[in-house]
Amino acid sequence: MKNKLYSLFMIAFVAIAVSSCNDDETTPSTNSGPATYNSGDVGLNFENIAGSVFLDPTGATNYVNASGETFSVTNFRYYISNVKLIKEDGSKYEVPNSYFLINANDTNSLLAELTDIPGGKYTGVEYMIGVDSARNVSGAQTGALDPANGMFWSWSTGYIFMKLEGQSSASSNNSFVYHIGGYSGVNRGQRTVSLDFTPSVLIVDGGKREAEIHITTDVLEIFKNPSNISIATQSTIMSVGAASSNIATNYADMFSFDHIHNDPL
Amino acid sequence: MKVNLKYKLLLLLSMVVIVHSCVPDVDPPVTQPLFYQPEGFPATSGQLANNPVTYYGFSLGKKLFYDPILSLDSTISCGSCHQQFAAFAHLDHKLSHGINDLEGTRNAPPLFNLAWHSNFFWDGGSNHIEMQPIAPITNPVEMDESVANVIFKLKRSSYYPAMFEKAFGSDSITTQAMTRALAQFMSSLISANSKYDKVKAGTATFTADEQSGYMLFKAKCESCHKEPLMTDLSYRNNGLDLHFAADPGRARITLQPSDSGKFKVPSLRNIAVSYPYMHDGRLNSLSKVIDHYRSGVIQSSTIDPLLSSGNMSITDAEKQQLILFLNTLTDPTFLNDKRFSEK
Repeated sequence: MKNKLYSLFMIAFVAIAVSSCNDDETTPSTNSGPATYNSGDVGLNFENIAGSVFLDPTGATNYVNASGETFSVTNFRYYISNVKLIKEDGSKYEVPNSYFLINANDTNSLLAELTDIPGGKYTGVEYMIGVDSARNVSGAQTGALDPANGMFWSWSTGYIFMKLEGQSSASSNNSFVYHIGGYSGVNRGQRTVSLDFTPSVLIVDGGKREAEIHITTDVLEIFKNPSNISIATQSTIMSVGAASSNIATNYADMFSFDHIHNDPL
Repeated sequence: MKVNLKYKLLLLLSMVVIVHSCVPDVDPPVTQPLFYQPEGFPATSGQLANNPVTYYGFSLGKKLFYDPILSLDSTISCGSCHQQFAAFAHLDHKLSHGINDLEGTRNAPPLFNLAWHSNFFWDGGSNHIEMQPIAPITNPVEMDESVANVIFKLKRSSYYPAMFEKAFGSDSITTQAMTRALAQFMSSLISANSKYDKVKAGTATFTADEQSGYMLFKAKCESCHKEPLMTDLSYRNNGLDLHFAADPGRARITLQPSDSGKFKVPSLRNIAVSYPYMHDGRLNSLSKVIDHYRSGVIQSSTIDPLLSSGNMSITDAEKQQLILFLNTLTDPTFLNDKRFSEK
């Protein structure tokens, strides 16, 4: 009887001792330095501009493109996807399932929310303009990629990566329509954007710091650099070809890093 | 005492039987699986991998298929141009008329064995069966609707939310749910029970003429109309035109000039009941089709290599035998299958 009690005591003691050993690895260090950061959300805030002014997407304001043509904008929408945040050490965190449809006429769409980003210091962001090939061939998608969003060619399955529409006296029927897509082939419309925050650094520390990256999207860049696009020459592009590919190469550099909001909460 | 008990038990049993037969079946008796792999068919496209066919998904898809709510003014449904008795083609219509009697540019193809196709339409423009319905729904000369508005109409209907709940476990109506239901219905349209199939299975025999026709088919047609699907699913120019400005065909999708004038090789199953023929419905009988191949092939830069040496030599007697063989590809089980019918 006494032996049994003693054995039980020993077992209990060992069990307690062993279980108390598990408390060492509770705060995983995520990144550089001795500080520990919590994972949190990061906002990508897109501000659509036309050169030095905010873009008016209602068609009420006139702008002038690099070809000297006057135009206004009534519809400006684009997909950004496959977002990667670049850490201080150069490695990249790929945000899973990141697909956003930015619509100049919908203020709610201008903030792309990246959730559960690992805590740490980030110096840049990378993303694709458009939708990757895989999502173009795998059937009906949901959310930002829902065909109901109207950014989709049903006669030749594929997403429209960017729509720019508006009025212009340079066009024979006073309007211009540019629908740019193409998920594969030599005239594909996807382009990669890489923005560096340096000298700023974004610290992601969920619950402790706000984290919002402000990016400007300059519609004037669609008409230049490297190709000068003239509405008079071609006012309608609604399929994939050399013309749409030229516009895609232009829009590859329409994004600029503007500033970060990273204040402690 | 004993007699009373037996009597009571009999009464109880008969009541149970009567009540059971008055209560309608909640789930229908399944005599044949809705989606199955016919003997000898090649691998499917894999597009059902995320969308297994279930009875309720199929039923929802069928309801949508025959519902003109998908069109702008609720006059046109998929079934308007895809008629079961014509193997889901549009009988006797070169081109179909949609909203406001507007006409399209291509012949409505028959619908069967679609799970073995990877792309859809005469030019293969749709690369997934779930994306296919979006084209006719949004085409101004077909149903002239927007996907967003169709979803809106389905949501506020009195019967769809419950059907979506049954099919997908949620009454949330989305584009994906709608197109997946349609994909389940369309994929279940399987035709593999014609006389030809029975002959192949050893349960029927061709007549002498049908057999001769089959041999001729194998010699002259099978390289493109490959067994057992009766199509090799490729895009070919079969010599209908010299110039293709009116309809560039596959080139419209691939943007390759070498694809000009090429259209998808259609299946010859149920061909006798799904006239007229060709991408624009220009030939309205099998006799005219065979005449085309024996005296009407037009050589062009993209003519199919198998036709580049000119017309086929087929005698009048051979032509009749070929037609008799083609008739054996008609599948009455499919054409009359009540599970696919509107009512």
